Amino acid sequence: MLQAVIAKEVRDILSSAKFLSAFSVCAFLIVVAFYAGASNYLSSVERYEAARAENLRRFEGVTQWFNVQQNRIMMPPEPLAALVSGVSNDVGRLVDVEPRGELAAYGSRFNEEPVFAVFRFLDLEFIFLVVLSLFAILLCYDGVSGEKEGGTLRLALANQIPRSTFILGKLIGAGGTLTVALLGAMAIGVTLLPIMGVPMSGDDWARLLLIVVCGILYFGVFLTLSLLVSSITHRSANSFLILLVIWIVVVSILPRASVLLAGRAVDVPSVDQTSYEKAAFASSLWADFRDELAGYQGTKTDDIEAMMHAFNAYMDSLSQARDQKMSDYAGRINENRYNRQVVQQQVAFGLARLSPAASLSLATASLAGTSLAMKDRFRDDANRYQKAFASFLKEKTGMDMGGRVIVMLSDDAQPEEEIDASEIPVFQPSRRELAGSIGAAAIDIGLLAMFNLLFFAASFVAFGRYDAR
Amino acid sequence: MEVHDIPTPKAMLVAENLCKRYEDDLLALDQVSFTVEVGSVFAVLGANGAGKTTTINLFLNLIEPTSGEARINGIVCHKDPLEAKKHVSFVSENVMLYPNFTAIQNLDFFARLGGKSEYKRDDYRNVLRRVGLADDAHNKRLKGFSKGMRQKCGIAIAILKDAPALLLDEPTSGLDPKAGHDFSKLVRALRDEGKAILMSTHDIFRAKEIADTIAIMDNGRIVMMEKASSLQGQDLEDIYMKHIAGHKTAAA
Repeated sequence: MLQAVIAKEVRDILSSAKFLSAFSVCAFLIVVAFYAGASNYLSSVERYEAARAENLRRFEGVTQWFNVQQNRIMMPPEPLAALVSGVSNDVGRLVDVEPRGELAAYGSRFNEEPVFAVFRFLDLEFIFLVVLSLFAILLCYDGVSGEKEGGTLRLALANQIPRSTFILGKLIGAGGTLTVALLGAMAIGVTLLPIMGVPMSGDDWARLLLIVVCGILYFGVFLTLSLLVSSITHRSANSFLILLVIWIVVVSILPRASVLLAGRAVDVPSVDQTSYEKAAFASSLWADFRDELAGYQGTKTDDIEAMMHAFNAYMDSLSQARDQKMSDYAGRINENRYNRQVVQQQVAFGLARLSPAASLSLATASLAGTSLAMKDRFRDDANRYQKAFASFLKEKTGMDMGGRVIVMLSDDAQPEEEIDASEIPVFQPSRRELAGSIGAAAIDIGLLAMFNLLFFAASFVAFGRYDAR
Repeated sequence: MEVHDIPTPKAMLVAENLCKRYEDDLLALDQVSFTVEVGSVFAVLGANGAGKTTTINLFLNLIEPTSGEARINGIVCHKDPLEAKKHVSFVSENVMLYPNFTAIQNLDFFARLGGKSEYKRDDYRNVLRRVGLADDAHNKRLKGFSKGMRQKCGIAIAILKDAPALLLDEPTSGLDPKAGHDFSKLVRALRDEGKAILMSTHDIFRAKEIADTIAIMDNGRIVMMEKASSLQGQDLEDIYMKHIAGHKTAAA
């Protein structure tokens, strides 16, 4: 009998005009999302390569490594970030790395091209978040109440079929049909990636597969929820209305409200406030530095070069001490701010996870590498690069760069050759480990699975008590 | 003297002191008792809200009795509903079925729910012919069917299940005279095959035409129950109006 209900459900869905129209729109949007993602990635690669070339051109004509005060590093585009943008368009992608001092990322995509920030991108996550959930509601809001209105439920239950078998058959039939149909549309979208020349590693494919799994789980949440609401209402119109309200709350309100509440509950010092504190401390350090510099009593000799060398060494030592103090102070302030931010994020995400939509966003962003951790990872990579860059310049110049150096140039010096900019260390972002990403997404994948089970169990119970008259 | 065993008619559908009180304290059925024997038609007449459909719902275990019991073939419906439902077919007032399915697809689904998975396409065609549905309609979607055609499909589904008892809930409601006549013929044929048929209806004419026993229900109670043969020569409409009016006068 289970088989008969499943077969009926499959046939009923596939033969309905509602399915054909809703699925056509959904499939079209899925394919468009993959196409747009691939195009977006390819144009990002072009922009990235152009920016790298431009950076290298800055060193043309430079003959002294002393004059290389900074190097610009860029976050390279990643294929999955184009499909699940997460925060990738909001965080700075450029850092001007100097051998010393704090680093700050700038040049986010939305900052540079604000028009995209207005409506955001039509990426795969958006399709999952909005279109898939509506697709599930549209096709299943009348799963039980519609059968009651149509009189078929009473006729079906006049037979020796257990209610549990009937509802299970409906879930498997509807869920299976719609999932296979969606996977078909996604398969077409996925084939566009290699066709359009998007380089996907094995790791990327595994991540994409998990992202699709998350999408299907999220779709399942709304499918089982629709079945549940349909099993506690007796009119399809009421069921649809209730589901629409739930959808608005879950997709649009709850995640945003969680962030607002977390913002109120956990106070995080603003960037302006910390910048002001750091600037005030830096000023006092500079005042001390100037005083100490003024008190310099060098050994007077006829060897000007030796005197210069001694002065530079003294200034270096002062600079190092000042930088160390500044670095310690900024580190404490930054750490305090970071810790508060972590608490705020935990509160925000904890509340938001009441919504399956938030779980989907967090899981897919973790898998695509576009979660908030992206910003931290880039900052850590930039800090690591700063050390390599500073060490490279020290090797080239013989002294710590970044402070002030006094260089004596003579008019009769021979024209020197340009520096070879290709010697500058290349920025290599750290590799994201798949296991780490899965670990970060596990809680949200688990929550999506739990929502599925919870709603199905509830619809199972509700249908058992359903007044089928 | 030669002694013969007199065969006792088998009671297929039994209502015994059935009571149903809803959560809002409405008493829908009050001490309803009757028996429908094998090879007979029991018609229940009554106005809307009299309790006819509630009685059928109790046999289908769509609701549970407050007290008393409904039995099908000796099985208490609310205690072993799945077993009881094996012995009963049902035709509802407005047979809607699945509008996107053809007549044969609808029959196939409900036959399987009724535990008959062995039927082939020809079996469906034969039963559809028997209920009078033209051949060219067998593979058409039901959304284009008239009410009479859908009703024929509903009866075909009941026939396919081949259960010994048949519950008909307002089966002739909205049918044109020709369809109603065809329906009466079919029910009589099913009775002659030995089915026990419980039919709720507003249609006094059809009840008199088909039924072996006629009961009148009002406000959840059976106010009259007679063999149709004992009503010969009497105007059933008069009797119906008298009982309904009598009850109302008493209540007032």
